[in-house]
This record gives sequence, C-alpha cells and structure tokens, in this order.
Amino acid sequence: MPVATFSFLLFISATLLVYFTVPRRSQWIVLLVASYVFYASAGVKQLLFLVLTTIISFSAGFLLAGVKNKNKKKFILASALVLDFGLLVFLKYYNFAASGINALLAGTGFALPVFKLLLPLGISFYIFQSAGYVIDVYRGKYPPERNIARFALFVSFFPQIIQGPISRYDRLAPQLSASHEPDFDRLKYGIQLMLWGYLKKIIIADRAAVLVNTVFADYMNYPGSIAALAVLFYCIQIYCDFSGGIDIIRGIAQMMGIDMVENFRRPYFATSLADFWRRWHISLGGWMRDYLFFPLSLSRPFYRLGKRTRRLFPGKLGKIIPTSLASFIVFFVIGIWHGASFKYMAFGLYNGNIISFSIIAAPYFTAFLEKIRIDPQGLPWRIVQIISTNFIVFIGRYFTRGPSLMAALRMLKRTVFSFNMQALRDGTFRTLGLSGFDLFLIVAGCFIIFLVGFYQEAGVEVRKALERKNWLVQWALVMAALAVLVFFGIYREGYIASEFIYQQY
Amino acid sequence: MPMEEKLLKILKELRPEVDFTRETRLIDEDILDSFDIIALVGELNDTFDIQIGPEHLLPENFNTLSCILDLVRKLQAEG
Repeated sequence: MPVATFSFLLFISATLLVYFTVPRRSQWIVLLVASYVFYASAGVKQLLFLVLTTIISFSAGFLLAGVKNKNKKKFILASALVLDFGLLVFLKYYNFAASGINALLAGTGFALPVFKLLLPLGISFYIFQSAGYVIDVYRGKYPPERNIARFALFVSFFPQIIQGPISRYDRLAPQLSASHEPDFDRLKYGIQLMLWGYLKKIIIADRAAVLVNTVFADYMNYPGSIAALAVLFYCIQIYCDFSGGIDIIRGIAQMMGIDMVENFRRPYFATSLADFWRRWHISLGGWMRDYLFFPLSLSRPFYRLGKRTRRLFPGKLGKIIPTSLASFIVFFVIGIWHGASFKYMAFGLYNGNIISFSIIAAPYFTAFLEKIRIDPQGLPWRIVQIISTNFIVFIGRYFTRGPSLMAALRMLKRTVFSFNMQALRDGTFRTLGLSGFDLFLIVAGCFIIFLVGFYQEAGVEVRKALERKNWLVQWALVMAALAVLVFFGIYREGYIASEFIYQQY
Repeated sequence: MPMEEKLLKILKELRPEVDFTRETRLIDEDILDSFDIIALVGELNDTFDIQIGPEHLLPENFNTLSCILDLVRKLQAEG
C-alpha cells in the first residue's frame, strides 16, 4: 500500500476513526492490528522477518533482565545482534558475495547458488530499532518490555516502518501505550505536516525524478552539463522524497498524539560535511553514534591506538587520529548499509575520507583563516562554507544515484572534461521529460522550501507564525496546497504515485 | 587542585569559547559534538582514573558541568 495513494489515505482515516472510538486503554491494540494489516498488505511472506526480529529482540531483552553474570549478558547481546543483523546481512549481501565468489572461481565447477531475494519493506529500520533496544537493555538504560504484543507494536508501528525515523524505545514505547484523546490542534498540525510532506513528495520529488531517470538510464549519451543537471535534480529529489515521506509519517503519528523524532534539520544549510550528516537522516546518525561510534572509540584497541598516536604525534593531531578512524569506519558502514555495491562503498569512503581529513586539518585551517584575517564565525565565511558543503554533497550523489561505480566515475569525468554548457540552452532540456511548467513548479517549490528553511534557521517557528495569521489566510493556504496536489501531483495510472527511495533500504 | 577546577580546565582546553559554568544543555543543543565527547572522555579517564563506557554517554551525564562532576564522582566511588 504505497503512502501516496487514496487507499492509504482511506486506511489512515479508518484507523484514526477506530483509534479514537475504542476505549482508551485499547488504543495500542488498534495500532498493533493496523500496523500488521499495513505490513501484510506489502506481502504476507514479509511478515516472517518482522515476527522473527520481534521474537529475537524481545527474548534477548527478557533474558538479559534475569542474568547477573557479565559474560552471560555479553553472550545474550552478541547472539541477539548476530541473529538480527544476520537476517539483514544475508538478505542484503548474500547475492553480492555469492556472485563475487562465483566469478572468482569461474571454471572450477564450483558455484554458490544465487537466490531471488526480495528485501522486505523497511527491514533495516525495524532491525536497527530492535537492536538499539537490546543494546540499551544490556547497558541498563531501562528495564525490558514484559509484554510481547506491546513490544511488537514498538517494532512495527506502521507509519514509521516504511522508512523510519529509527525511534528509541524509551521515547516511543510510552507514547504508544498511553491513552490519547482526539485533539483538534494535533489533528490540524498533523494534517498540515502531511500536506507539506505530500507537496514535497508528489509535486517536487516525483517530478524531478522524471528528468533524473531519463538521464541516468542513458547517461553515456548526455554531455557533462546534463549529467550535472541530473545530479542536481537528484539532490532535490532525494531530499524532497525522503524528508517529505518523514513529514507524512510524523504527521500521521501527530494526529494520533504521538511525537516522533525529527529526521531532517535543513541539511542544505549545513556548514560542513559533518554538520550535513548531523542534519540529514538524524535518527540513523544518532543510532550510529550511540551504538557504533561511541563503543568503537572507547574500545580497548582504540584506546591503545590513541596512546600510540599521542606518543608519535604530540598535540591535537595525536588525540584525534583514533576518533577520525572511528568516524571513517562509521561512514564506511553507512555506505555499505545503503546496498551491496561498490558504488556505496565508494560513497562511504568518500564521506569518511573528507570528514576524517577535515577533523585532522581543522586546527591548521582555523589558524590559516586567522592569518589571512577571515572571521570564521562571520556571515560571508558561513555562506562560503554552505556553498562548498553543498558542492561536496553534490559530488557524493554521483555515486549513490549512478547505476554503478564505473557509471558514476564516467559521469563525473564527463562533468569535468566535457561539460558542454551549450547543451543547457540548445533544446536538449526539452527532451528530458519535463516541460517549462514542470521546471517552474520545481523551482518555485524549492524556493518555498528554502524560504521556510531560512526562517527556521533564523529561529522562527513557521507553523506558529502562520497560526497568528487570520483564519481565512490559514484556510486559503491549506486549500491552495490541496489544489496544487490535486491538479499538479505526479500520478501514474490508477493514481499510484511512485514509492519512496528509502523504503528499499 | 579541586576536582571542579580540574574539570573546568579540561573543558576550557577542549572548547575555549564555551562558558561551561552557565551552559545547561551542552548535549541537547549540540554544543559538544560526538568528537568533543570522545576527547573529553579520554581526558576524564586519564585525569580522574576512571573508566567511562558507552553506557555512560547519555545527555543527562554530560549536559552540565555538575552532571559531569556527578558522573566522575559516581565512577570514582564505584572504583
């Protein structure tokens, strides 16, 4: 059941109606049933993995609570993580590894079987969420859940299961269990947030996707300028697709009285690549920080490495080498999490290298800026930083959208060596699937998003500011948004809009 | 040197521009990022002879100067 369809809207309306009609203490059961119905609609077979993950993580939490011995606790934690992530790794990487091994052993008669493996909807998101729970219980952050049905709801909560945000148990579970009265303001805010998300998704992302798909499907036949334009449109598409989807998810939860974590904080206003990743897919970044970066940085091997580097390189450099290595590993893992492909490894290495290098170079660079009398806190320098960060992100997108690593490198080569500015003016654009009006909608949409982001960066709460306007203005805005969606949304046959990019991960 | 002074000295070296006696949301407002936290933990472990683990890296243990002091005292007491 794709989110941008009428059947999904009907499903939400029916769920909300039942949710606010049943006795308050049973509301969580409505959510659990709705979540499983929603998930089963994507394929009944896929339920198997969801149920398995739920049972493994619930049992691990339950067992951890009854054990005092440190080694036994470690064993339970390790077993749960191996089982949970084992599922993910097998489904995601088995075929990639098997094909690689088969290619190496070609001619020997040995060949591993290659299966038709379909990645179940949102599997990464619910596995990350469940694994975080098990680690937290192991660390003693909170006691485990005693009711498997309530735990099953935490893992499967239906709007978030599509593509996150990756929630923490101590923040989400109490809200799922609590009783919620219908609240006019919450309903209104929820609908507004959903509308904003649908505008980003159906008006901008799905429109930009037309040009992106056209160019990437036939990338060898376009000059560098068109390749660069397609990557620029992909930057717009992926932001509007992913953050729009999250707005829809958070809007639905908000109507039910549930606050989900923020997943995007205006990433295109970031002043460094590290800052960009703190603003983009925040819940994944937070997960990686708490469950990978921190344990890695504080582990014995890293402690020993730190001692050695401090001896070899006195001063700041020696101290930050282990931290930058840990950060490099995190980015590499994020890269391969996106998929079993060399292009994602390259993407991870690209980000990891730049961030590690900038951590090491930062003190020298600040000293250099002082020498040439540039205020690192001043507005002009901030603008330079924002532009250069966006440029670095833009280059990285060649890897994530390119059909393969080689294709991405070829497109990059064309962008640098055969740019051909003329192709942007000679009518080639008209062959890319978008009309002048489509372009206008994309540009206008981006401008509105930029404006809203600009005010938010300046500390203005845009929704509250709108609240203070005349009710007529508020209604006119909602109606205008609806009209734009109805008349200018990108709908395929049968009104099935395209699915979200991130739900495949 | 009293413990608080030692801690302030470490924090000042880490981020000279921050007034650690006033800030109450060092983590919640991203004043200290994850790299600062790791650098700070390394210094705290060495200076106060404690072992801070990933399970201690929670906002409530690092949001204010007094939270950090409480954590150090707690870990010293646990030995």
